[in-house]
Amino acid sequence: MTLAMSPALSRTLNALGLLGVCAVLAVAFFDQLVFGDLPCPLCLLQRAGFVGAGVGLALNVRFGPRPSHYAMMMLAAAVGCAVSVRQMLLHIAPGDPGFGDPLLGLHFYTWATIVFIAIILGGALMMLFDSQFTFDITPPAWSGLALAAVIFALLMALGNGVSTVLECAGGLCPDNPTTYQLLEDGTLKSLFGR
Amino acid sequence: MMSIPFFGFFFAFAGILAGKRGFAVVAFALALIVTLVLFKLHATDPLNISL
Repeated sequence: MTLAMSPALSRTLNALGLLGVCAVLAVAFFDQLVFGDLPCPLCLLQRAGFVGAGVGLALNVRFGPRPSHYAMMMLAAAVGCAVSVRQMLLHIAPGDPGFGDPLLGLHFYTWATIVFIAIILGGALMMLFDSQFTFDITPPAWSGLALAAVIFALLMALGNGVSTVLECAGGLCPDNPTTYQLLEDGTLKSLFGR
Repeated sequence: MMSIPFFGFFFAFAGILAGKRGFAVVAFALALIVTLVLFKLHATDPLNISL
């Protein structure tokens, strides 16, 4: 028995999934920029896990669904999940307030674990539909939704990269960052003469 | 250094937009490996607990 799903429907669902991943990254960015909640190293690696999962989704959107694309999405989500579980365990001791402000009662790394597991399960569910895999050599034409989702994801990856350079400069980030190192030490100010 | 995964994934997205699947896959793989290496550097942080 083969469960039916057209490649076009699969690409649409992957584009929606990519927008969902971008929304998660946008919420984290909003918290960082508006509330000044600078991401710790493990937080940054979880964001990288989300962006990596987004690459697998974007490959499905652009080149059509393939098992290898789903595998990439699930591998990146597994890496991100490992990081978020590690951070949960770091704060599991009784009385530990956790890192950062909670959102709807849960810390960001707890939400991250839930979403990473959802991504892995979602990928597994999508792979049940064999009829979506056609392995066309020529990529399908862009839809407006697909193009918007991939460009949004590209901007989120770039934004997080630039933000991390500002926060951590060239090295490893401090465990509990409070300032943007590159802005604080005057490197940029001296570069632009201000 | 911790920005490398983001720029790696950024290049992967750029490859996808340009229609270069192989480039995107390689950029993804390298970025994910760097993410794992950075995780190894941070995963051994001591647990702040007194037993």
